Amino acid sequence: FSSMFQSIAGNAVLEKSDLKPALKALKDRLMTKNVAEEIAEKLCESVAASLEGKKLGSFTRVSSTVQTAMEEALLRILTPKRSIDILRDVHVAKEQGRPYVVVFVGVNGVGKSTNLAKVAYWLLQHEVNVMLAACDTFRSGAVEQLRTHARRLQIPIFEKGYEKDPAIVAKEAIQEAKSNNSDVVLVDTAGRMQDNEPLMRALSKLINLNNPDLVLFVGEALVGNDAVDQLTKFNQKLADLSMILNARLIDGILLTKFDTIDDKVGAALSMVYVSGAPVMFVGCGQSYTDLKKLNVKSIVKTLLK
Amino acid sequence: MVLAQLGGSIARALQQMSNATIIDEKVLSECLNEISRALLQSDVQFKLVRDMQANIKRIVNLDDLAAGHNKRRIIQQGKTSVVMFVGLQGSGKTTTCTKYAYYHQKKGWKPALVCADTFRAGAFDQLKQNATKTKIPYYGSYMESDPVKIAVEGVETFKKENRDLIIVDTSGRHKQEAALFEEMRQVSEATKPDLIIFVMDSSIGQAAFDQAQAFKQSVAVGAVIITKMDGHAKGGGALSAVAATKSPVIFIGTGEHMEEFEVFDVKPFVSRLLGMGDWSGFMDK
Ligand SMILES: Nc1nc2c(ncn2[C@@H]2O[C@H](COP(=O)(O)OP(=O)(O)OP(=O)(O)O)[C@@H](O)[C@H]2O)c(=O)[nH]1
Ligand SMILES: Nc1nc2c(ncn2[C@@H]2O[C@H](COP(=O)(O)OP(=O)(O)OP(=O)(O)O)[C@@H](O)[C@H]2O)c(=O)[nH]1
Ligand SMILES: [Mg+2]
Ligand SMILES: [Mg+2]
Repeated sequence: FSSMFQSIAGNAVLEKSDLKPALKALKDRLMTKNVAEEIAEKLCESVAASLEGKKLGSFTRVSSTVQTAMEEALLRILTPKRSIDILRDVHVAKEQGRPYVVVFVGVNGVGKSTNLAKVAYWLLQHEVNVMLAACDTFRSGAVEQLRTHARRLQIPIFEKGYEKDPAIVAKEAIQEAKSNNSDVVLVDTAGRMQDNEPLMRALSKLINLNNPDLVLFVGEALVGNDAVDQLTKFNQKLADLSMILNARLIDGILLTKFDTIDDKVGAALSMVYVSGAPVMFVGCGQSYTDLKKLNVKSIVKTLLK
Repeated sequence: MVLAQLGGSIARALQQMSNATIIDEKVLSECLNEISRALLQSDVQFKLVRDMQANIKRIVNLDDLAAGHNKRRIIQQGKTSVVMFVGLQGSGKTTTCTKYAYYHQKKGWKPALVCADTFRAGAFDQLKQNATKTKIPYYGSYMESDPVKIAVEGVETFKKENRDLIIVDTSGRHKQEAALFEEMRQVSEATKPDLIIFVMDSSIGQAAFDQAQAFKQSVAVGAVIITKMDGHAKGGGALSAVAATKSPVIFIGTGEHMEEFEVFDVKPFVSRLLGMGDWSGFMDK
């Protein structure tokens, strides 16, 4: 491994061939940390492009120059370009006399319902009135699961049982929230595979009909290369299957199961890279308090370690 | 075994790839790089790919590779079997428990389901609703919080009722939380399962190996089921984890419905992993 880090101090300008071994090593390291192959490759290409033709400072090794450039690139990618302040937006909505609506979407079993309950808990801590909407009307036990959280958190829940059209249930829930003075409605949806056209169409319908304030994509930190496909296709399908002109896409990401991956934190990078959406919350356990903000610096440090 | 099979398939792929009679060093290296990339894109653990690349030239004896495949631990009809399901959170245990029960019921077994997940909100309702739909007897409790106690009671109850396939569903867990692993060990010790099935999501990435290895070290995992194969993921991370459990994959899950469940067949799995596009096995139902 160390042979890849030869010193070429004194060389005049960096050429592609000088960079190649160090970039290869870096790409391998990113993939070991569970960054999707495609993303690791693209990152290395852009780092190469940014360095090619540059002068190497004396006594600097190629490997450390590459490392520094990569660190900058990672920080740039992971630092949100659009920032969303939920609490501020909730108050704006309240002043407009309407509830703030969040829809949780994602593939099966990633932690949508559990982390929806954690977000409810977090909002309660900030003295916001929350209501849950049980719009997973498909999976066995989904309604009871949400009901249990509502009971434990002592907050209202709107539910219509199973086999109802989730888009309609969500609409009725939002209406109900207006009359019971809830500030926020958290809408749970059924998990679905990004390739499942009928289910993606149903999700698009729910989102278009209710025009939520926030479409939150829930993805698990355990996921490998599929992270890229999940986010790409959720956005693509929401755009393509929509009946309206400016379809709503993913606004933010909730990254779950962060407590199960040790230093393999790469999914965070893959998800942000492909969607451009910020990681708004990180789920790091199975209780209500296990919800954090993403620490960009620590992710970058772990990725490059 | 699965990995060995994969090696075999790669060797075959190489043979097919070269129309020329001789594959020299250079051609081989190029092919291997291509294949490695395909594997990494499928989430196969990085180290495994490296090792495989190093070893591949030695893998030629295809007959050798098939050996060991019969070590598959199968439960036998005619006596009572207890099967315990374990795995990470949300991997598909509860759904797969019912699919597994339903599959065997259609083959003439008398399955029963025990819900030893006292942690997850709505877990018992989920199992109960699935069991009701498929008309399979179930056992569980809304009040009791000790999974060991429920598991033991459930198994006892169904043994008395002469059910011949008693399936125990457990909570999702991960290696970082020792107490959860200890709980799993206790359930296993108390119910003495004939088979422990590790359920894994096909989309899992590089963390798969370490997690699977930890499960294997804690309880006697004897078989693996890979779920959500109807998704887009190729299952390479899962495959790496299968290597860690040293157990065969016995079924795959291909959807949320009860009948979306297939006996594992290595060929289409590997084809898909290598992007060779033979999906037949996943599609015919
Ligand atoms: N360790 C850990 N487990 C989590 C986390 N978030 C959720 N889980 C667990 O993941 C499992 C699945 O969570 P759910 O909230 O039911 O997932 P879901 O996305 O709503 O699932 P479906 O609705 O069936 O698609 C549960 O066992 C949760 O306790 C987390 O941050 N860390
Ligand atoms: N598309 C698809 N979804 C599946 C498959 N198997 C399970 N699921 C879904 O995955 C989600 C999680 O499944 P569960 O059976 O609740 O997972 P679990 O391992 O019991 O979860 P915990 O008990 O919380 O650890 C549910 O939405 C299931 O419907 C499958 O093969 N394909
Ligand atoms: Mg859910
Ligand atoms: Mg379960």
